[in-house]
Amino acid sequence: MTNLKVDVTNLNKNYGDNHVLKGIDFKVASNEVVVLIGPSGSGKSTLLRCLNRLEEPTSGSIIIDGQDISNSKTNIDKARENIGMVFQHFNLFNNLTVGQNVELAPTELGKISKDKAAQQAKKLLATVGLADKYNAKPQSLSGGQKQRVAIARALAMNPDIMLFDEPTSALDPEMVGDVLEVMKKLAKNGMTMVVVTHEMGFAKEMADRVVFMADGVVVEEGTPEEVFDHPQNDRTQAFLEKVINV
Amino acid sequence: MKHKFLVFFAMFFASLALFIWQAPQVHADKTYTIGTDVTFPPFVYANSNNKYVGIDMELIRSIAKEEGFKVNIKPLGFNAAVQSLSSGQIDGVIAGMTITNERKQTLDFSTPYYESGIVMAVAKNSKISNLKDLKGKTVAVKTGTQGATYANSIKNKYGFKVVTFDDSDNVYNDVKTGNSAACFDDSAVLNYGVKTGLGLKIVTKPTDIGQYGFAVKKGQNQKLLKMFNAGLAKLKKNGKYDQIIKKYTGKKATSKTNKSNSEDRTFLGLLKQNGQAITNGIVETLKLTVVSIICATIFGILIGLLGVLPNKFARGLSTTIVYIFRGLPLLVLALFIYNGIPSLTGTKIPAFVAGIITLTLNEGAYTAAFVKGGIEAVDSGQMEAARSLGLPFGKAMRKVILPQGIRIMIPSFINQFIITLKDTSILSIIGILELTQTGKIIIARNLEGFKVWAIIAIIYLVIITVLTLLSNWIERRING
Repeated sequence: MTNLKVDVTNLNKNYGDNHVLKGIDFKVASNEVVVLIGPSGSGKSTLLRCLNRLEEPTSGSIIIDGQDISNSKTNIDKARENIGMVFQHFNLFNNLTVGQNVELAPTELGKISKDKAAQQAKKLLATVGLADKYNAKPQSLSGGQKQRVAIARALAMNPDIMLFDEPTSALDPEMVGDVLEVMKKLAKNGMTMVVVTHEMGFAKEMADRVVFMADGVVVEEGTPEEVFDHPQNDRTQAFLEKVINV
Repeated sequence: MKHKFLVFFAMFFASLALFIWQAPQVHADKTYTIGTDVTFPPFVYANSNNKYVGIDMELIRSIAKEEGFKVNIKPLGFNAAVQSLSSGQIDGVIAGMTITNERKQTLDFSTPYYESGIVMAVAKNSKISNLKDLKGKTVAVKTGTQGATYANSIKNKYGFKVVTFDDSDNVYNDVKTGNSAACFDDSAVLNYGVKTGLGLKIVTKPTDIGQYGFAVKKGQNQKLLKMFNAGLAKLKKNGKYDQIIKKYTGKKATSKTNKSNSEDRTFLGLLKQNGQAITNGIVETLKLTVVSIICATIFGILIGLLGVLPNKFARGLSTTIVYIFRGLPLLVLALFIYNGIPSLTGTKIPAFVAGIITLTLNEGAYTAAFVKGGIEAVDSGQMEAARSLGLPFGKAMRKVILPQGIRIMIPSFINQFIITLKDTSILSIIGILELTQTGKIIIARNLEGFKVWAIIAIIYLVIITVLTLLSNWIERRING
């Protein structure tokens, strides 16, 4: 499988006695959009955060683009340049303007010149529909706008893979659509994406594969039709009933 | 980034150490540093030109002239002078010190240069006239003096309590205000005080006769001691000795006093007379404050940053340093650095340097605590987002976390600057002639406690106001 982007084998994560991930095997192919669903506390966010080692795995291997992320000898900063991440609470840099947020990493890491970075930032902001916010402060933006800036910021490093950690959970309902639109555009352009979300509509429409997790294990996975329309596992059924009824 | 940081850290301490190492070389062959207590007229006090005069001062200077050496007088206060002598910070002490067997354990004394006894003084209108009247009363003494030793030796017999003060002025004031019924002190000192219009009267004959001697640390500076003895003998022979004694205890001293009583004692008058001394005190206080603020801020930021590094050893080191230097009272730290360390290592530390080190460690520990707190107050998501983009820890810290943390820290910085300024006053304990010590010395001469302290207090407030305005201006610039 040469086009395997993410290859996680037997991943375990403990917080003291709390066994959060119990021997997870998880694969993502190139250009694939994988949506992780499951009840809170199921370990889906932890799995996502292990992929760029914001969480240190307790054991197991995580290979991304052929590079062993879980190995402490790996230059994790270098590896992260290719793994974009979008957070639930946006985490825009409050001391910088919108433009500077997008430009910071590429210029600081010597990827491109300041002028090029500014051009790129303006272009990226235009693609997320925020061309006019280049000089704005993050504090003046709405939640949805912030999250779109955060996506532009991650894209500025030109990553091969994007991780989304509940990107719409902290948004007012009317903001969710704009963010999802941007994500759909990305998916259509062939970005490899791993998305933790409760937006079942997005999962149904955009996911190549849906992974249902509960209690630190992968319970069931398959195409959206398989998981949503013909769930095999009782826990999947119980979860979906609750979510879809809401 | 981490390495650069550690190198900077090491350089900071290396240069500090170098500073300490270099400084003592100033004291070369023929100059001796002599500690004294300038609040002890007529033996030692500062005259209205802020020159140190009195019997002891004239004696040591005349002897130095006779024997061909130089003296550098340090106005340390009695206790600090004796401690500095035993820790090797100074070469000798002349401060109306009575020769006792106890002191001979650690000091070598010259031949006595003055003989004095202890007398009891009471407020002018007091009915107390002898020791028996003291039953159930309180008696004030100055720490470390023979008067204190005497009072403690008879307190059980006569049934009185003893309170101790660091300065003669406080002793006399306590008696004047009636808190204490009486005080015990050397007869020459009290006689001089009464003549200067102290508002006390002497009611007993001198007892417990003691002899004053010049002291060096036991076994050290024997050459200096020999020269003192030889010089003293010469002065006694050529009449200069009698001349000095007469000048400060005879009738003439009183007439001189009358003149000083007619001095202008209004606020403005006091300011005018002591303008130079107060200005020097302000300059010294400002120097201490500015240097300490700079050193403590650098030290505090380094230690604070050490406390947020993703490294257990660094964090432990930071916590320990903050714990120790925030936990130690400033006074103890100052005395430990100035007197404690030199007595262990034998290396002299100049008082100013000791003062700076003290403030750097103490204020720096507080600074470190709020620097660490300020950084930790920045939402952890900021660091995660920066790291997720591939920014290394150091870059993320500099570009994202610190700019936000510093804003949180600014009010604490301003607060700490003001505290540092006020804490410089504690350094008067190691004899630095800053504003507070200047006040003590002026009062020792003119006994105008209320007015002089009011002047000193107002000066502190003015400096603090300027410092606050300056800090607020900087804050607006940073936040603007």
